[in-house]
Amino acid sequence: MSTNRQHDPYDSFKKYSEIWEKQINDFLFLLSNNNEFVKMSKVGTDVHSRYIEAFKKNQEALAGVLNIPTKNDLANVTSLTIQTEEKIDSLEEQIWVIQDSLKSQSKDIESVVEVSKEIIKLTKQLKTELVKTKKELADSKNLQSELQEIKFELNKLTNLKEDIEILKDHIKNDHQKEPVLTSAGSPK
Amino acid sequence: MAVDTPFKDLIPPLELDYEKEMKRWKHLFQVLNEPEPKIGDTPRTEVWRKNKSVLWHYPAKQKKYGIPLFFVYSLFNKPYILDIAPKASVIEGLTNRGYDVYLLDWGTPGYEDKNIGLDTYIEKYLRTAVKRAIRHSGADEITIVGYCLGGTIAAIYASIAEEPIKNLIVATVPIDFTKYVGPDKWAEGFRNGDINVDRLIDVYGNLPSTYVEAMFRAVSAPIYFSNYTTLLNRAHDARYVDKWRRMNKWTTDQVPFAGEAFRQLANNLFKDNKLAKGELMIGSKHADLKNIKSNLFVISSSNDNLVLEPQSLPIMNLVSSKDKTYKLVEAGHVSLALTGLFAVVVDEWASTRSNPL
Repeated sequence: MSTNRQHDPYDSFKKYSEIWEKQINDFLFLLSNNNEFVKMSKVGTDVHSRYIEAFKKNQEALAGVLNIPTKNDLANVTSLTIQTEEKIDSLEEQIWVIQDSLKSQSKDIESVVEVSKEIIKLTKQLKTELVKTKKELADSKNLQSELQEIKFELNKLTNLKEDIEILKDHIKNDHQKEPVLTSAGSPK
Repeated sequence: MAVDTPFKDLIPPLELDYEKEMKRWKHLFQVLNEPEPKIGDTPRTEVWRKNKSVLWHYPAKQKKYGIPLFFVYSLFNKPYILDIAPKASVIEGLTNRGYDVYLLDWGTPGYEDKNIGLDTYIEKYLRTAVKRAIRHSGADEITIVGYCLGGTIAAIYASIAEEPIKNLIVATVPIDFTKYVGPDKWAEGFRNGDINVDRLIDVYGNLPSTYVEAMFRAVSAPIYFSNYTTLLNRAHDARYVDKWRRMNKWTTDQVPFAGEAFRQLANNLFKDNKLAKGELMIGSKHADLKNIKSNLFVISSSNDNLVLEPQSLPIMNLVSSKDKTYKLVEAGHVSLALTGLFAVVVDEWASTRSNPL
């Protein structure tokens, strides 16, 4: 056997302890895994329960005589506290519902305000447009009267043109006759 | 002059490192004498409180997802296993990955809570907490993450929920209670009435935490001391000692189980297996897993010595979800959360289903 191998007693102790632990537990498992053990444990718990029951009954009786509260009295008081907590919780949840509905209402109101703002803006725009249109209408009326005048003037000019044409014709006619008048000494 | 013995070659020489030994015993002394470590380093704020239950919010470091995660932990233990230590914390891992995380801490029930049943826990605590988380986050939908019995509660809740649950993630979850890790005769005795918890609950009100611990010990390993020998073996490693102390604090920090809830768990789920059969009633509502239409992710641990894979698997066929995934990870029942691996597994699946921003 080699003498270079070193021995760690803690390691060996650990390994052996694990083996012992497993062996003891396996043994206990075998020992207790039967109906007799189960029935015996039932007897044990029944006796124990009866003992605790009797003990508690006496304790309650003594506490009653001494006029001191027992755990049961405290438990009754605590149940009132828990009931109050539950009521506060349910009130808080109702407040949530109200908060949520208020939030959604305020959102609705906000959207209505937004729409109203848009409408006001639009109305203002329409008003401005109306003023503009009115002005433009007045301008166009002026323009129309001016146009009428121009039309009248044009008519007048047309008449003048016609007169000028007539005059021109007359002048033309007169021009055609003039050589006869100017040919002095010609036989007639 | 040294005397040679015939066993000289059989016993290897002792490894003796004085520095290591000093560290080992110093750390062990600290474990015995120093106060327990403070657990829960991830920043959080309280959102809602009722009775002993608190809804915590762990904000994302840099929010990357629109749908928050809502953790439901078991009623048997305290949920700080999900935030056990920096760098190993499941919650820290998820907030670092960009999720808003909510955690419902059920609290420690007192004698006055003996009448709280599973229906009260689900209808009056879980439902309200989910509503609060949705309102607080401003999200339209939520992802429910249930661990161990918290997974069972989450699945029951999801089957009757009116709230918008987009994803349901359950890890190491018992759904089918016909399978069980403990001795078969105990289960048989329980089912045929030889073991009856009703009377015990009637006299105690709640199931005391020592009984809860004893129950788990009894079904897994009644004699358990290897954790101490492992500590002795590795006590020279300060990081291991710190991890051990945190784990040990959590393991021994059991909570009592509300009496009525334990009665319902024992009779309706364990004895009659009503959840898997689709016969469970929560108040006036029929908690049929068929009603679950959310995306479903089921995680089982291959080395789980408490909830077996066949206990979780049936949920896959019981729900109506179209998008459903099953994953078996190399971990134990607790180590899945203890190592922070759970955060990685959840992120891999949830990242594409949580409305990335």
